[in-house]
Amino acid sequence: MKHLLLRIEPVVWFLFGQGIMIGTMLLTGWVLVLGLAIPLGLVSPDALAYERAYGLGSHPIGRLLLAALIALPLWKGAHHLRHLSIDFGGLSRDVVVAPILYGIATLGSLAAIVAVIRL
Amino acid sequence: MSTARPAHPQVMQPSRPGPTRTAPPMRPARMPLRGPYLTHSLFGATGLIYLLLGLLALEIVWALGSGEEAWNRVRENFQHPLYIGFHTLAFASILFVGVRFFRLFPPAQPPRIGPAKPPPPGVLMAMLYAAWIGVAGVLALILAGRIF
Repeated sequence: MKHLLLRIEPVVWFLFGQGIMIGTMLLTGWVLVLGLAIPLGLVSPDALAYERAYGLGSHPIGRLLLAALIALPLWKGAHHLRHLSIDFGGLSRDVVVAPILYGIATLGSLAAIVAVIRL
Repeated sequence: MSTARPAHPQVMQPSRPGPTRTAPPMRPARMPLRGPYLTHSLFGATGLIYLLLGLLALEIVWALGSGEEAWNRVRENFQHPLYIGFHTLAFASILFVGVRFFRLFPPAQPPRIGPAKPPPPGVLMAMLYAAWIGVAGVLALILAGRIF
């Protein structure tokens, strides 16, 4: 397992970096509107009525952005939590923690692809 | 008269190898929650927020693909105070991650990028913040129905 984790390290670092960079840029607007402004009544709920939301999401660019918005934060989260676990508990449990976190990110990324294809 | 002589660098070599001065890795005493390590640990802890945000985004997109009823149900859930509280924490985390991450760019630049020198730190930071505000702003305006 340690050998495999070392072999995939460059790919994970790439996805982690994109998760911070692109994930942060996309999540800022996403959380601001969908998570705060609409629920707090600052923006009309009609802005994301089903027909409009579906039209935006099912556009090819919309699908690409949504896939990135799901998958990249998952990789950023998984890699950061793995290193937090190493900081707090040392390397001994990394062979268990890392596969679980990267497994969640992998399954989530695959689910993201399926989710945008079904739109 | 020439003063040049053949070089013999091996004469500088010690007769036997010296002891290595590499110390075994040690965990700093204030790691992970005291002093400067607190910010480092908080930066790592934002991983949990990002992981949850990714899973929430998956739920939203899945609901969008499942039809109007599922979409409206997810949006109703978002009005619960727990979700609003989480999204407030998430928004603060996103800003913290962005500011901390972008601060790493200027010191990480090489002296030269091919034939060109990297932009000055202030210009680089301005470019990064402009991109961040631009992307976030356009996406927010689209989602809020102000454009498109």
